Amino acid sequence: MTSAPGPARRRLAIATLVVVLLVAMVLAVGLGAVHIAPGEVIGAISRGVSGADLNKADAVVLTLRLPRVVLAALVGAALALAGVLYQALFKNPLADPYILGVSSGAGLGATIVLVTVGTSFANRAFGVPAGAFAGALVTIALVVRLASRAGRADTTSLLLAGVAISYTLAAVTSFLLVVFRSSMHSVVFWMMGGLTAASWQYVGVVAGMFAAGLVIPTFYARELNIMLLGDERAAQLGVNVERFKLLVLASASLVVAAAVSVSGLIGFVGLMTPHMARLVLGPDHRLLLPASTLAGAIVMVLADLAARTVLAPVEIPVGIVTAVLGGPFFVWLLVRKERR
Amino acid sequence: MSTPQAPLLAFSSATVGYGSVAIVREVELEVSAGAFVGLVGPNGAGKSTLLRSVTGAAEVLSGAITLGGGSIVRMSPKQRARIVGVVPQTLPVAFAFDGRAFVEMGRHPWLGRLQDLSAEDAAIVDEVMELTDTSRLARERVDTLSGGDLQRLTVAQALAQRPRVLLLDEPTSHLDLNHRLQVLDLVRRLADEGMAVLGVFHDLDIAARYSDHIAVVADGSMAPAQTPERALSAAVIESVFGVKAVVRTDPVTGTLAITPVVRRADIERPTRGRVGVVCGSGAGAALMRKLALASVSVACGALNRGDVDQAVAEALDADHVDLPAFGEMTAAAEEVVRQEYAACACVIVAPTPFGRANVGNLRAAVRCGAPLVLVGEMTAERDFSGGEATSLWGEVVKAGALGVRTDEEALDTALGFIRDGAEE
Repeated sequence: MTSAPGPARRRLAIATLVVVLLVAMVLAVGLGAVHIAPGEVIGAISRGVSGADLNKADAVVLTLRLPRVVLAALVGAALALAGVLYQALFKNPLADPYILGVSSGAGLGATIVLVTVGTSFANRAFGVPAGAFAGALVTIALVVRLASRAGRADTTSLLLAGVAISYTLAAVTSFLLVVFRSSMHSVVFWMMGGLTAASWQYVGVVAGMFAAGLVIPTFYARELNIMLLGDERAAQLGVNVERFKLLVLASASLVVAAAVSVSGLIGFVGLMTPHMARLVLGPDHRLLLPASTLAGAIVMVLADLAARTVLAPVEIPVGIVTAVLGGPFFVWLLVRKERR
Repeated sequence: MSTPQAPLLAFSSATVGYGSVAIVREVELEVSAGAFVGLVGPNGAGKSTLLRSVTGAAEVLSGAITLGGGSIVRMSPKQRARIVGVVPQTLPVAFAFDGRAFVEMGRHPWLGRLQDLSAEDAAIVDEVMELTDTSRLARERVDTLSGGDLQRLTVAQALAQRPRVLLLDEPTSHLDLNHRLQVLDLVRRLADEGMAVLGVFHDLDIAARYSDHIAVVADGSMAPAQTPERALSAAVIESVFGVKAVVRTDPVTGTLAITPVVRRADIERPTRGRVGVVCGSGAGAALMRKLALASVSVACGALNRGDVDQAVAEALDADHVDLPAFGEMTAAAEEVVRQEYAACACVIVAPTPFGRANVGNLRAAVRCGAPLVLVGEMTAERDFSGGEATSLWGEVVKAGALGVRTDEEALDTALGFIRDGAEE
């Protein structure tokens, strides 16, 4: 493993991941109650894009399956991006939006909007993401504040603070649902982590937030590397540490909010995929950022495919699938870290 | 080393600290191109805080710090990092970057966003890795390297910034002898080629050896930077570190060598008694130190300047008559010594060689009337006094002087005489 990938190596790794993602998406669109061959899927998409006449199968592809698969990819990418950013910022491989409580914070923010303003489309498309963003920002600020001693947050206190905040916010959310009994069912199902309500409108909103959240990390990839040397060294090497942290935390919160507001609480994607990418590709964020993001999309597309098909026609919330995979992975990481 | 141009790094009545707590007050210091200034002082005196204030990790509470003529408060971190590089004590590394990627991070202040290293940047990285002897580490993972290799890579990383000012924070405390010299020789050479260097050192010998000027930081303030000889006198070392030390010029390096003798706190007890020592040429240094630690005050006759025993006697405030280097004792000096010895519980004769210059001390001891304790044997190799020392020795042995083999035994015997004297 070399850790200073040249531009050629970077391009090759990213191209490979893009191809794998496209293949996974085509497969995921094709599989379901009605099987559609990959060729048909591609045909339907090209007809949809060119505006040609659509057949019945094309409608299934374009209005039901494709938005859901694209949304899954976006949610996975968003969670993985947030995971990379948190892990770099806290110099901690166990950081991820779910474990840090940010997902719960976004969930509470979204729930407050849902139960107070209602479930109109405009609200679901814009109010909920805004509430989720606010909830995510407040939560990460709180967790960092609680976990820091003299400006440093060590692993244990960060995880403890994250878990504690996460439970508290989940309790508040549950309380709200009991009080606002009428919206309980839809909110609970959303929160368990699902993509059933997928539509192109949601895709648009999430894509917009994700793209906005991607800007800062792309421009600050070198700083993300240097930050691994610690805040003081990074400052010595010319990084504006405070501004960097603020921008990166805001970006991570934005993409978490995007993911949570459409798919509820989905755990461990943000933990697993950056890790796997780091193991294979090394620690350079100029490669790690795009690679983890693409890997997160792939994992999520496949997890959602499993959620839809394993117990068909019953659909499992995708959060359960990722938790079943991710829980053991987290324990493995924890044990490995302890042994070192 | 003075240069006509403005200093690259200057503290002007700068008070630095954290939050509202001042750590070092009213600092005045200028480091010009080509100068190597060392900061020394006790733990917690604020040496590192002074360095950290230059890179914004500690605050300037009042006064100003300028880099290349510009105030640091008006600089962005990037602008600052183009002027000043830092070599910290150690860097924690727990990631899999290779040596070259690690050094390349030093180019950050010169690169725009999304800009990759240019051929020129790559050439600078090559050059600094060559300079620091780290080229062979280019493909090694930094988290697998030894402390010495990692520290030299850190130096390379700082040099990749192409700084005009280099700050060192005990850069060699984790390095072995060889790498310590390698790193500091390199920094000294960079200073000679025009770098301004400000370094914190715990090792006073190292500080004196490499610095043009040394500033002592203690009790919340900094003394003006001076030559090592002036900055690190025995008096300064005693008042700042609470250690009595022998300060001399190392005959090999020609720079200051500081040998700590005792902590002042260890000898600040009331004196138990007084013992005379006949010594010279370093034969009595260890014994005098043991006596001082046992709270015994010492009179050690006439000693030549430049003699190790004379330096130790001075460090311990032991009574002695100063002779010029290679000077001989006068009759008057011998009488002073005899009276000093006469007031002692006993006189220990250390296994020193006797020549015309110091045989007077032995004569004084023999005639002073106090009991004598002889360490070792008198041999022809020890007697350069034309036989006088040997005949004096024979005389006192015959008169019943006690013979012992080691300093320890001499000390025990002397303490016995002090006890006996106290009981009478």
